Amino acid sequence: MDQAALAHEIAGRHLDRIGGPITALREVAAEFGYIERAHMEGVADAFNLTVAEVRGIVGFYSDLNTEPRGRTHIRICQAEACQSVGARELTAAAVARFGAGLGETAADGSVSLEAVYCLGLCTSGPAATVDDRIIVRATPEALAP
Amino acid sequence: MTVAKVPRETLANALGADGIAAELAARGHDVVRTGSLGLCWAEPLVEIDGIAYGPVQDIAHLDAARIGPTDEIPALSRQHRLVFDRCGRVDPFDYDPTPIRAHLQRQPADILAEIEASGLRGRGGAGFPAHIKWRTVHDTPSDRKYVVVNADEGDSGTFADRLIMEGDPFRLIEGVLIAGHAIGADTGVVYLRSEYPLAAEIFSEAIDTARGMGLLETFHIELFVGAGAYICGEETSLLESLEGKRGEIRAKPPVPAVAGLFGRPTLVHNVITLCAVPGILEHGGAAYAELGVGRSTGTMTFQLAGNVERGGLIELPFGVALRELIEDWGGGTRTGRDVGAVQVGGPLGAYLTGAQLDTPMTYEALAAIGAGVGHGGIVVFDDTIDLVRQAHYAFAFCAHESCGKCTPCRIGAVRGKETVEALIASERPEVELAIIADLCDVMEQASLCQMGGMTPIPVRSALGLPQGGD
Amino acid sequence: MRLADNDYGTPPSPAAKTVTLTVDGTVVTVPAGTSIMRAAMEAGIPVPKLCATDSLESFGSCRLCLVEVEGRRGLHASCTEPVAADMAVHTQSENIAKMRRGVMELYISDHPLDCLTCSANGDCELQDMAGAVGLREVRYAGGEDHLDAPADTSNPYFAFDPSKCIVCSRCVRACDEVQGTYALTIDGRGFDASVKTGADDFFSSECVSCGACVQACPTATLMEKSVIEHGVPDRVVKTTCAYCGVGCSFNAEIKGDQVVRMTPDKDGKANHGHSCVKGRFAWGYAQHRERVLDPMIRDRITDPWRKVSWDEAIAHAARRLRDIQTDHGKGSIGAITSSRCTNEEVWVIQKMVRTTFGNNNVDTCARVCHSPTGYGLKTTYGTSAGTQNFDSVDHADTIVVIGANPTEGHPVFASRMKRRLREDRPGRPPARLIVVDPRRIDLVRSPHVAADWHLPLQPGTNVPLMNAFAHVVVTEGLIDEEFAQERCDVESFRAWLEFAAADQNSPEAVAAVTGVPAEDIRAAAHAYAAAPNAAIYYGLGVTEHSQGSTMVMAMANLAMATGNIGRPGVGVNPLRGQNNVQGACDMGSFPHELPGYRMVTDDAVRATFEEAWGATIDAEPGFRIPNMLDAACAGRFKGIYIQGEDIAQSDPNTQHVEEALAAMECVIVQDLFLNETAKFAHVFFPGTSFLEKDGTFTNAERRINRVRPVMAPKTGMAEWETTQALTRALGYPMQYGSAREIMDEVASLTPTFTGVSFDLLDRVGSVQWPCNDAAPEGTPVMHREEFVRGKGLFVLTEYQPTEEKANRKFPLLLTTGRILTQYNVGAQTRRTDNVEWLDEDRLEIHPADAELRGVRTDDWVSVTSRMGEITLRADVTERVAPGVVYTTFHHPSTGTNVVTTNLSDWATNCPEYKVTAVEVRPANHRSPWQETFRSRNTEQIDLLPAG
Ligand SMILES: Cc1cc2nc3c(=O)[nH]c(=O)nc-3n(C[C@H](O)[C@H](O)[C@H](O)COP(=O)(O)O)c2cc1C
Ligand code: SF4
Ligand code: FES
Repeated sequence: MDQAALAHEIAGRHLDRIGGPITALREVAAEFGYIERAHMEGVADAFNLTVAEVRGIVGFYSDLNTEPRGRTHIRICQAEACQSVGARELTAAAVARFGAGLGETAADGSVSLEAVYCLGLCTSGPAATVDDRIIVRATPEALAP
Repeated sequence: MTVAKVPRETLANALGADGIAAELAARGHDVVRTGSLGLCWAEPLVEIDGIAYGPVQDIAHLDAARIGPTDEIPALSRQHRLVFDRCGRVDPFDYDPTPIRAHLQRQPADILAEIEASGLRGRGGAGFPAHIKWRTVHDTPSDRKYVVVNADEGDSGTFADRLIMEGDPFRLIEGVLIAGHAIGADTGVVYLRSEYPLAAEIFSEAIDTARGMGLLETFHIELFVGAGAYICGEETSLLESLEGKRGEIRAKPPVPAVAGLFGRPTLVHNVITLCAVPGILEHGGAAYAELGVGRSTGTMTFQLAGNVERGGLIELPFGVALRELIEDWGGGTRTGRDVGAVQVGGPLGAYLTGAQLDTPMTYEALAAIGAGVGHGGIVVFDDTIDLVRQAHYAFAFCAHESCGKCTPCRIGAVRGKETVEALIASERPEVELAIIADLCDVMEQASLCQMGGMTPIPVRSALGLPQGGD
Repeated sequence: MRLADNDYGTPPSPAAKTVTLTVDGTVVTVPAGTSIMRAAMEAGIPVPKLCATDSLESFGSCRLCLVEVEGRRGLHASCTEPVAADMAVHTQSENIAKMRRGVMELYISDHPLDCLTCSANGDCELQDMAGAVGLREVRYAGGEDHLDAPADTSNPYFAFDPSKCIVCSRCVRACDEVQGTYALTIDGRGFDASVKTGADDFFSSECVSCGACVQACPTATLMEKSVIEHGVPDRVVKTTCAYCGVGCSFNAEIKGDQVVRMTPDKDGKANHGHSCVKGRFAWGYAQHRERVLDPMIRDRITDPWRKVSWDEAIAHAARRLRDIQTDHGKGSIGAITSSRCTNEEVWVIQKMVRTTFGNNNVDTCARVCHSPTGYGLKTTYGTSAGTQNFDSVDHADTIVVIGANPTEGHPVFASRMKRRLREDRPGRPPARLIVVDPRRIDLVRSPHVAADWHLPLQPGTNVPLMNAFAHVVVTEGLIDEEFAQERCDVESFRAWLEFAAADQNSPEAVAAVTGVPAEDIRAAAHAYAAAPNAAIYYGLGVTEHSQGSTMVMAMANLAMATGNIGRPGVGVNPLRGQNNVQGACDMGSFPHELPGYRMVTDDAVRATFEEAWGATIDAEPGFRIPNMLDAACAGRFKGIYIQGEDIAQSDPNTQHVEEALAAMECVIVQDLFLNETAKFAHVFFPGTSFLEKDGTFTNAERRINRVRPVMAPKTGMAEWETTQALTRALGYPMQYGSAREIMDEVASLTPTFTGVSFDLLDRVGSVQWPCNDAAPEGTPVMHREEFVRGKGLFVLTEYQPTEEKANRKFPLLLTTGRILTQYNVGAQTRRTDNVEWLDEDRLEIHPADAELRGVRTDDWVSVTSRMGEITLRADVTERVAPGVVYTTFHHPSTGTNVVTTNLSDWATNCPEYKVTAVEVRPANHRSPWQETFRSRNTEQIDLLPAG
């Protein structure tokens, strides 16, 4: 099946859901790692939307990435509570260590870094996630893949 | 056999709660997964036969972490828990639906009257009287109506929504069912941010359980997980998002209570607002109204965070002084330095310093100093804070999260960020400060929503500029 | 000069209740729900604005329109804030001024500072507003901007320059709200928010080039290339589009004598400021180099053309026609009028035929499209016209579209219909949609629209399907007894009840014939009959059948039986193909009817005209087009005057048409171009484009719209003047001084037009006939109190299958239609950049049929019918059902009508274009006809005079 058809199939599971197109796109991103134009076409067709509309949706939400991510995806909280306990310093160390800026993927594709604004762990910052792992009181070492 | 309560909660889990639970079970304990008690500094907090231990790093050395009988922990017993009364104490899925069934037998008019009597105001940030919204939705004719729960909890320093949805999801379901019954809705939708996957998992389980108990036969509840957009916490943006679109702000009027989700009358409330409702019905609106100060009635779930020794959730009647929360409850900064500034009410809240810390935590008192309660988040910074950098961040955050619909916020946030950069490098800072002051006026008065409209609050407070008129 | 001014910022409120308030001390009363902005404008106080425009719902994004309201805190966006009783609004204060300047300073901090060299200089709302708010300086010292964003010039007609974009979303909203195509979006958020399509550029996107976004853009971001080339126009002439039957009003915007752009007129009652790619952009053919501007004559069609003076051409034509009559009799000549010409042009031709040819041999191209409408609606209701105005669709709860493809053929009306299909408010759910069509047209499912029922019937089975609707309605108690009893002819109603109830009309019985499942027919019939308001819209898929008239009457019966006549939201509505089909019919260019649908056989009617015209009118009805052609082949019909029609391409069975034309001695063609028919002509009169015409067009809703000349006739003579000169040369003293005088005569002789005059039209914009003493400003909805014929007549509509049947040799059924970017024979649209979208006709074929024949998309295939053969390229698609193939007839070299048959409607001779049994095979050669066509084409072009 081509990518559009695959995305269409995923979307088909959410047709009657409130906010269905967004849920479908989240699932497409989770399934394929990122969202490409063909996926947008599939989702658009399933929900009877235009590709333009789906593109607009994808462009709005940070989780709906259109570029592939690194093999390990690290998100570091940049919000105030984490700032107050060293998030900026942690981020700088991580950028130096993994060779990718926030929003970037290391040249070798190993790691991608992303800013996140609050993980609800604000008593125990700096907070971060490494793929599905949640790290609190994070250190550069603790972020290693 | 001894009963061991271990939280199943994101923070506790990140600190190893799952492993501890497994080990305790292996040692023959009857392990109950509860929610968090909100004593985040003590997580993972394990309770064995009524005795609390925390933070538990290793069950081999449990005693070293002994706190004492849970009921006697001052940080807990001194709270006034109406919303969080069950959270952390019970297995959320060991749920008795009898009380909610009784509430749902009451007449809508009767419930509306209780809500009015309680003086309950929205906990999502704006503090708008709940009963006005309820009555508006109730009175607006429509083929269908909705209850929408705002669980987008994007403010830094807040986690109350997450704690309750992970620790007592039925409290929220109760609140939604009561509200739906009172206003004549048949569908409830919970908008949960994607950063809270465990809350999504637990809440979904709770919906299924409630359905299994027959609680959802005439009312449909759906969970929607967002896709990463702070602005979707704003209610009209949230509604657009629920309609499957870009989360661009809608102009008001019409307010959602008149034309909300899919153009139908919609009651939008924060999680905590709705979670206060079962308690109000249980104890009576009047009793609730006796708590707090003036028009700030009832309890508030303060969340103490950032650079603080004992961060966590503290549910108290309105009126406690900010300094008391930070020093008595929080034990000062984690770094041990002096408090430099405290940001109250999330990224759009003011940085308070010095004597401002003596302000009682009420809507009115905070408004009087150009600040706000917001969702009850309190972020402590020590004295190394660089406030100009925080002003820069306030603009940068707005630039990052602006929906991009209105011009003051879309362009203003970027220009603000750039001008603060210029200010840092400037020889004559008064030039940049004047531009920033004007920009803040424009953003405050001309923005479509409070994203742009309130960004000036942290900026001005950080830069020592006077707050705007109203 | 701002050309499209007088913008109230937000749409009018429909509320009946009014509210009184003050704006800057001025008292103003407006409907409740009106925005403060609009109220202020009505009080004569403009409020600065950028994102607001009264064609779109208020949005509230630019924040320039802030005002103060006494007793309320803060500033309020006047576009989104509704008025309230006794509100006191202030639109000016020191603080407001400061805020507006602050917002403008932000805008300009991200905008190129090139006003003087900008194509919108003088026609830019941002420029105006910067002046209005008094912005003097931008203090922000550089920073991020969008000034390097590359322009997109992929669309042939407009450019998109995002460096000038102010992200007001007007384009996006216009595409959504007005056009309903949703081809644009804002991508990204915050400062990154920018306008995008779903593709890499406009041309390859979902955009249909309706121009709504260009119209809505307040800056030079979306700009007509013609304006970029020629500059901002300085003069406006209001006129009417010359394409389809919607009849959109346009402002021709002119600089010197150069048309710079056509913009849809907000006050146009058919289009309300909207347009489609044809009317908005495809007018360049009027200036095309292939236009013939001089009269020409030749003796034989193999001779070279000779340019002559008008006098010579007219004298020559008159002489030839008279000679023919001398040799072959009075009845040996005739004329064909065009639905593309004005009412006035048509009027003089039929008058010429009747006063000087001495016969009634005048027919119109409506013969081949909507003649069954005329017959069917006249028989049942008493008028040969649709019952509603377009706006009526706003009130429909169920919409039935039969044999029409509005998104392609009537795009501006389709947009309006789609609005109703999307509308969803408490108490006002979206209208339900039933599509009856062999193809999956866009309305069946396209973004934001989905038909509740698609009944993909076999071509040729409309009548049994409609009879089954009637059966359901009758047998399931869905009749509006009261309406039928009071408003209709009771005897015919009773007979119809009995007919409809018969078993042979049950959905189950017709399912086999139509191919539509019985339960779908039942459900759809319920949705029609049970709706508070149900409306039928139909097109050539109804009329162009051997039972076209029967089907029109079947629909008329159903509407009467369910009480769906006589108020907004209901009715039976033909979507006319060409701009003036209605008018050409109204003007009496029929062999059996004088103007106003009055029979020539009626002595009293003839007497009226004879007296007015001072001439004798033949009491015998004349030839219809097919009769003329048959008579020509038989050698009895020898001379014809064809104005603005291309029967050699548009009429069925092309080879027969060609034979007829070749058999004639004097074929006079008047057209813009040397069209296919002109290749058989002896006299060529150059025609004028709509930009040169003065007169009126009558659209599908009976609306008489003015066509005003933007420039003098490039040919030196308007069509009515040509006809008048020919008439005089033939000996009748026709004496009009202007088109206006012709309309005065129309009004004096046509009861439904009594009140019509150019003065009235100039005053009120347009009127829908009947327009007379009883209805001085026209009649939007007909048959309100009673039917025009008195009691509505039910007619039994027995199904007679067409003789054209699929069999082993011709197993597929071909049906034909149009596409959005092309128009009919394509004479106009093919001579514009519209060819960039499609420059050939293609054959749609279902994958199953294609596979069986080894055909893939883009392959050449031959289509053979009993009449002939053509070749074209294939599109394999599920839009058509198995067993059905489809193509268009826009390109003469395709020769689509080579394969269509001679069969026609029993009552009106409207050809059965929609059903032709064919076989499709892979092909690697042109068909023999196409070979002939090619060589004739080259020969004939060589015969044109040089230059
Ligand atoms: C930028 C912005 C972000 C917001 N985020 C949230 C949020 O995360 N959660 C929330 O409950 N309310 C949030 N709000 C407030 C909501 O708009 C709305 O007032 C609230 O959901 C109403 O519920 P309440 O009456 O229970 O407070 C936000 C408002 C703004 C302007
Ligand atoms: S202030 Fe304006 S741009 Fe910013 S988030 Fe609100 S509506 Fe969007
Ligand atoms: S601010 Fe980082 S987790 Fe909340």
